[in-house]
Amino acid sequence: MAPQTSDHVSDRVAPALASTQPLLEFRGVCAGYGGADILHEVSFEVPEGGLTCVVGPNGAGKSTLLGTVSGVVRTTVGELVFRGERLKKATPRERLERGIVQVPQNHSLFREMTVRENVELGAFILKDRTIVRERYEQIAETIPIVAERAKDKAGSLSGGQQRLVEFARCLMLDPALVVLDEPSMGLDPHTRKIVFKTVRSLHRHGRTVLLVEQNARAGLRLATHGVVLENGRVRLAGSGREVLENPEIGALFLGGVVGASRPAGAPETPPGR
Amino acid sequence: MGTQLVEAVIDGVLTGGLYALMAAGLTLIFGMLEIINIAQGIFVLLGSYLSYALWAHAGIDPFLGLLVTIPILFVVGIGVEWAFMRRIGDRDRVSMSILVTYAVSLVIEGALDIAFGTTFVQLRPSYFARTWHVFGFYLEYIYVFGFVLAALLIAALYALMYRTRFGASLRAALQDRTAATLIGVNVKRVSTITFGIGVAVTAAGGMVFGATNDFSANSSTDLISRLLTIIVLGGLGSIGGAMGAAVFMLVLEDVVAVVWSPVWAPVIYFLVLLIVLSVRPQGLFGKVSTRAQ
Repeated sequence: MAPQTSDHVSDRVAPALASTQPLLEFRGVCAGYGGADILHEVSFEVPEGGLTCVVGPNGAGKSTLLGTVSGVVRTTVGELVFRGERLKKATPRERLERGIVQVPQNHSLFREMTVRENVELGAFILKDRTIVRERYEQIAETIPIVAERAKDKAGSLSGGQQRLVEFARCLMLDPALVVLDEPSMGLDPHTRKIVFKTVRSLHRHGRTVLLVEQNARAGLRLATHGVVLENGRVRLAGSGREVLENPEIGALFLGGVVGASRPAGAPETPPGR
Repeated sequence: MGTQLVEAVIDGVLTGGLYALMAAGLTLIFGMLEIINIAQGIFVLLGSYLSYALWAHAGIDPFLGLLVTIPILFVVGIGVEWAFMRRIGDRDRVSMSILVTYAVSLVIEGALDIAFGTTFVQLRPSYFARTWHVFGFYLEYIYVFGFVLAALLIAALYALMYRTRFGASLRAALQDRTAATLIGVNVKRVSTITFGIGVAVTAAGGMVFGATNDFSANSSTDLISRLLTIIVLGGLGSIGGAMGAAVFMLVLEDVVAVVWSPVWAPVIYFLVLLIVLSVRPQGLFGKVSTRAQ
């Protein structure tokens, strides 16, 4: 199926995504800060079990978009629907209770607390300490840095290690939807690969992931579905591959034509860049 | 001179414990809400007057009276935060908070003047002035009890912060409000309760202050100057720093009074502030602020 391109396709749900059961739907969402909207009638679906990557230039409204999902940014018009229920009035805590967990863009660990405290705080809304302990043990096995540095202050970890601990923290609620805001930002190429591998692993283990990534190529290569955001509007939505190989989008956002359309002799951008 | 010096150090430590408690409340409020609560001084005096009223009119022992005055000051703190503090925006937050809390301070001061008059009063239950004779030194009950009370309340504050779920949410919000929101902490609620706790400790501070000093509502000006000095020297937002700075400053003031002159003691107190700030702006025990929004 050919990807749909338009300057103003925000009122339509992308056909490529409509065939799959949506976990989250954006329906004509407008949102912003201080009375000024940054998002304009954004509509697309996040399919259950998929990895949806949102790309776009700086200032496109990507982080604002994720803010509307976690509830730290309010929608002014339109609505978000999660598992068939409207999210409009749900507080960030209520969204956590429904299984929506966000890892924000900037390093968000509590630097003066230990790695263990940080990870356990991921389950802050759970009152059953036994469940918290059990989940912690499981996660410490899956993400070794958690066990290795459990007693160290989070602020003493490198940027990449902090990212992995943030992932560990977000798993404490066994979330239905993991929202990741530019997880590779500020990391060296090697650490970036590890982070992307972990994102892929989250998806392979059956979690639905909504990812915003400045590193558009790397993000779209991981993704089952891609959304291009420009000036707060959906420019294109389709499968990850469709978006990645769209010549117009490639020229605009990916530093030139990519995939099959790449000119002969043109160097391929190294993976993880 | 040697004995006087040791006495001055002991006095400084005992009084420093009390100031540490009052300053801990102030620095906790700054750390959590990023506001300078100029009204902390008048809240202390409100605590003094409440204890005084219970003792003078109902015969209630000032220590026992804390069971009433601490909850009252907690509720007053919650009310002030709800009515004024949460309406201060992010823009010029610190300077706006100084203006707003100064206005709150003036209103409470006026109310206290009307209710109790402008003459100085003192809490003087008879047993407060009794003394213990320890290693050749005479220690007044009120100073020892006051120090023990401050130590217990600071320990309780630490237990609250490091041993409870609320404490975890408070520490999380102190470091990064957005990240705390994203793990389910209701930052507004935590801020309100923290303001309440920061004000509630002034009930205990005020009771002992009133028992060791003649006071009127006007005494709050000198008190808030000292408390601000302590939290700045301790590093804004640092409870441990406030405790260290409180003891250091009170010992220094008492020692200067003995070695040099009581007239110079307050001068040296504020001179130290100027010197420390010029060479170490983050305070004696503070770190450079790193809190994220």
